Amino acid sequence: MTTEYEDRIEKAARSLRTEISPERDLWPGIAEAIAEPERSRWTPLLAQAAAVILLVGGSSAITYMTVKNDVQPVTEVTPNLVFERASFGNHNLGPGFQDARDGLAVELDAELARLSPAARAEVDANLEVIHKAIVEINAALEQDPGNTMLQQKLLQAYREELSMLRRVSGLTRNVMVRNDI
Amino acid sequence: MAALLAAQSSDYSRDMVADNLDIAADEVAWIRRAQRADARAFEALYRLHVDKVYGLCLRMTGSVAEAEDCAQEAFIQAWKKMKKFRGDSAFSTWLHRIAVNTVLGRIRKSKRDQDRLQVVAEQQEAPVTMGDTGEMRDLAEAVDRLPEGARHVFVLNAVYGYSHDEAAGMLGIAVGTSKAQLHRAKRLLAQQLEAQGFEA
Repeated sequence: MTTEYEDRIEKAARSLRTEISPERDLWPGIAEAIAEPERSRWTPLLAQAAAVILLVGGSSAITYMTVKNDVQPVTEVTPNLVFERASFGNHNLGPGFQDARDGLAVELDAELARLSPAARAEVDANLEVIHKAIVEINAALEQDPGNTMLQQKLLQAYREELSMLRRVSGLTRNVMVRNDI
Repeated sequence: MAALLAAQSSDYSRDMVADNLDIAADEVAWIRRAQRADARAFEALYRLHVDKVYGLCLRMTGSVAEAEDCAQEAFIQAWKKMKKFRGDSAFSTWLHRIAVNTVLGRIRKSKRDQDRLQVVAEQQEAPVTMGDTGEMRDLAEAVDRLPEGARHVFVLNAVYGYSHDEAAGMLGIAVGTSKAQLHRAKRLLAQQLEAQGFEA
């Protein structure tokens, strides 16, 4: 084996084909990709902003409702809230959080029954606001799973939801106490 | 008769030159239109260059599936970057740079995903013929068996004729490293091919 032999190999390599046709037409895949409108890098940021606005709005509405609403016990029970499992990207949140959330969610129907229809509608609407925020943040996280700000927003949204469930529970218990008196 | 042949040959050469000039003029027009987001013009550029881009991807990866993905991704990247093409180099060279970046990017990603490219390469038997025949096929297969770094430099430098400066720039390595990898590639190829009785 000599340098001369290596040089001859190098020279022979210049005869290797440089243009090779793919076995299939690659254009359809390219055409499909370039036809898609480019996904804006601002989308996650807009989603974050929207989520923050929804959360702040939801939270304010709940506070207002709690303070202002004249709660009357009623017997009619019709709420039908459905709770999805709390998730964080591909991971579910911790069992402690999940248990607390599940427990409160189960109690919620009974607790809501003690509220007036108007107050119940307020709770429904505000829970929906929070759930919508959670869905939007999750959608943004799908695009940018490593975004720590979004992850924090998601946790914040779940905390907000938990806090609201507790507030509803406390509110109705207070009503019960007053009624008992 | 000789005069006739000479005239015919001359006509043929002129036709060839004229054809090439037409293609070059067309290419410039297609590039300008593609820069204005004309997908049809970009398709024409794709048809003109796909064999060069796919060939490079195939030589660098040694895998048909990877080469197809790389070539597709390279053209998608080229579409996104069309406005940045200023004509400082030939369009084909610009596409080659994008293709090399795409291959390297996919390899880096694959390494993060547990060396998938390498596993694919190990699972496949001999590389596809790539249109080479006879001893050239032996040489192509030997090139494909080279370690990654040596293979990339050998393909760009020895097969595609890029200088060490250009190859090093494309691969993001030092010129000295490019030279060392070429030397290593030649030595490994000689070892493989001499054992097979390859007549260079």
